[in-house]
Amino acid sequence: MKNKRFAIVLDTNRCIDCKACTVACKTENHVPLGTDNYRNWVGPEPLRGTYPDLGQSFTPSQCQHCSNPPCEHVCPTGATTVTPDGIVHVIEHKCIGCKYCMTACPYDARYYNEEIEAVDKCTFCSQRIYGENGQLPACVETCPTKVRVFGDLNDPNSDVSKLLAKYPSRVLKPAQGTKPNLYYLI
Amino acid sequence: MSRLIDKKLSRRRFLGLSSCTLATAVVGSQVKVLRALATSGDISAPVAGKDDSIFTTCGMCVNKCGVIARVRDGVIRKLDPNPNFIKSRAMLCARGNAGVQLVYDPDRLKYPLIRTGERGEGKFRKATWEEALDLVAKNLNTIADKYTRAGVMFASTEGTYQDHFFNQLAECFGSPNTVRHPTLCLSSNIQGFSATYGTNPTPDVLNADYIIMSGANRSEALITPDSIDMLKGDGGRRKIIYLDPRFTKTAAKADKWFPIKAGTDMAFILAMIHVIVTEGLYDKDYVRDNTVGFDKLLPHVAPYTPEWAQGACEIAADDIRKVAREFAEAAPKAVYYQGRRSSFTSNDTQMRRAMAILNAIVGNWDVKGGMIPNAGIKLTPHDYLAPWYDDVPGRIDADSVAFLSEKDGSWPVVQERVLAAKPYPIKGMMIYKQNVLASVPDRAKTVKMMDQMDFICTIDITMSDAAWYSDVVLPEATYLERLDPIESLGGPVPVAVFRQPAVEAKFESKPCLWIMQELATRLGEEIAETFNFTMDEYIHHQVKDNPKILVDLKEKGVYFERTEPDYGSTVGKKLKTISGKIEIFSQRYADKGLDPLPVYSSPQAIPAGKFRLIVGRHAFFTHGTTANNAYLHEIMPDNTLWLHSAAATQAGLTHGQRVKVRSSVGEETLSLEVTDKIRPDCVYMAHGFGVMSKGLSNIYGKGGCDAALIETKYCPISGNAAMHETLVEVVPA
Repeated sequence: MKNKRFAIVLDTNRCIDCKACTVACKTENHVPLGTDNYRNWVGPEPLRGTYPDLGQSFTPSQCQHCSNPPCEHVCPTGATTVTPDGIVHVIEHKCIGCKYCMTACPYDARYYNEEIEAVDKCTFCSQRIYGENGQLPACVETCPTKVRVFGDLNDPNSDVSKLLAKYPSRVLKPAQGTKPNLYYLI
Repeated sequence: MSRLIDKKLSRRRFLGLSSCTLATAVVGSQVKVLRALATSGDISAPVAGKDDSIFTTCGMCVNKCGVIARVRDGVIRKLDPNPNFIKSRAMLCARGNAGVQLVYDPDRLKYPLIRTGERGEGKFRKATWEEALDLVAKNLNTIADKYTRAGVMFASTEGTYQDHFFNQLAECFGSPNTVRHPTLCLSSNIQGFSATYGTNPTPDVLNADYIIMSGANRSEALITPDSIDMLKGDGGRRKIIYLDPRFTKTAAKADKWFPIKAGTDMAFILAMIHVIVTEGLYDKDYVRDNTVGFDKLLPHVAPYTPEWAQGACEIAADDIRKVAREFAEAAPKAVYYQGRRSSFTSNDTQMRRAMAILNAIVGNWDVKGGMIPNAGIKLTPHDYLAPWYDDVPGRIDADSVAFLSEKDGSWPVVQERVLAAKPYPIKGMMIYKQNVLASVPDRAKTVKMMDQMDFICTIDITMSDAAWYSDVVLPEATYLERLDPIESLGGPVPVAVFRQPAVEAKFESKPCLWIMQELATRLGEEIAETFNFTMDEYIHHQVKDNPKILVDLKEKGVYFERTEPDYGSTVGKKLKTISGKIEIFSQRYADKGLDPLPVYSSPQAIPAGKFRLIVGRHAFFTHGTTANNAYLHEIMPDNTLWLHSAAATQAGLTHGQRVKVRSSVGEETLSLEVTDKIRPDCVYMAHGFGVMSKGLSNIYGKGGCDAALIETKYCPISGNAAMHETLVEVVPA
């Protein structure tokens, strides 16, 4: 059976910075309380213009599940690895907490989880997507304004493939050569 | 004052309707399944325990969104949105997600408490339910004997679905003095629109091509489905014009933001009407056939030119003209969105009238993309015969404002009259989950009002400021631990919802119905008789004429009869106004000596060195109730005072410094946030901080309390508090 290439497409024009994704993620994935601990977040961009002609955007972000992930390359124990479906994840018991991966990640998408004594990050909610009911990742499902669309890029009929075929998009920090799999519609 | 319900429902008849019990319904295969996601085998499957998914409704705010509680081994792991829940477009916000924390919050109330120290000192002892309930009943009876039954006031929250039982107890106990949230929120809105249309309609945000929002920050003050629907769909044809003294997240999403001078929205609206009628852009046939008083509107708005309005609201006359023309052009798929909260100025009801009139003249009533009358799901009410008491006077706030809601009262008036003991004293206070010290303007006055009480009892889930100032505190089970009655959520697409317990009630907490039943038993046989039912019986009685409601609630977590509004259902029918038509000119207002057409009045001028204090919502807290939730607290751990950079420079104040904000009624200290997201003549602070209760451990000692600064002012028509009429000075702390 053909592997998936999971991805998220984001329409940030719809983001209202309500933080539903962040709380949903924290409760779903037992991310410890504390502002240093997060698997995803919404970044309010700086205010544009001068009063009263102002503008502001909000950019949700998280692990980009890169096709060329620097975190995997620097991990000395092989704790960071990539599944055949493209999910970059940390094997808890192999992690020695050296945090090289946190330094290597250009997206600041990892944190050290004191409770499990390992680095933790987004897994596209693998427990949900592979679970019995095949749920969407928590952030995708809960998003009030449906900024995020999750799916399989290897399937040309998936919503993510269709969106990327229809609209122009960008990835974050393309010059890093990480080949991210989060696409932001322009 | 207690109202006699025409028929007394015997227990036998009530029971005869249904005797089966209401087993908890769990989610089965109805949940939308993501297509063909095979296990890769690389990430181990989660360890399975006893797994349940339970349909219920969120209890974190007024929207009551559909929720699926994911329970494993008796612990709620996660709250997911119910994909069947059309009203909220199958979403759950930050608060909805954080609801999971409520059950396991170390700060939650665990046992009945009886005060041992001075009131407000926070010294309580653990009591048994028996002892606490006996004490409450004894005090209510003592006060009733001494001051009549009107001597106890009942303040209630909304939306727990069990608030009906609290209000039933108030009625059966015999007090006319129930006071609820509307006059701190939307009563001017209801009044102004109802005076015009006979009802308060809902804007069809999803289908409107042109939306003007003022006083409705929908990207932060989330209202479902509007907050979702207002964003542009595919094609992006919808235009949003947004008026607010603050650059909010709604402003960030709008096509155009106008930093309107606070309290002058009516000038903008009247000038829009002026342009639309003088340029003949209104829907002439519609106005002729469906409205009364248009002939009087013409001369009325003649002086309200865009040039005049520019001076009043500080929006350029050309911009007003442009918006008015675009609005009329887009009509009938154009709405002037009235929002929800209308506690801005004491002229708010008339401002809502102006909004209603503007909508009416472009003919957007009951058409796709316009203003849609609300519908509901029919449920069989639980009738009861409230005992009659001869010696009880009318409401304490009777005759204070032109149109007082009999059940809701007016909070600002009640506060003032209780303090003055006029026309009679109120010495007892029963509070159900309404944090009156955080929500009623002029906190010092509310404290004084509470100080003069002989007895205060609060039912809540956390030690709110109101609970902190009580003599007896009773712990309620949270919304995730209760079986709640079915509730019809009205709207263009009405739904029925209910709650079922995801887990058993923790500690010694009890549902409100149980507390009311126990109190009723102690207050007398006649009162107890009205509570002689179980929740199962109550729910089955609600659906006796339509059992499918319960079937759907069990299978889908929500019941609805249609997925689209029933557009045009009122066309050709009489509206619930005196004339049966849309009343541009209100004879009803004229008869009461009120302006029959909205007349503009300027807000108080702001003297040099002072600022107008404005309040508003954000998407993380609900009123004064959720700021202490750990998940939400870390998003917003503190509040700040927003001040425009130019004003800060002029006052010699810098970003981050501690400042004192002083009004005529209070002083609060908090950090200054210098920002260009606000008009230079206003300051803003978020609600939910500066608490008095040390039982709210995350937020105690953080930030400032807006209610401590806001002066008691209200609309003389609706009794709605006017929260934007307080001027403050800001000095270094």
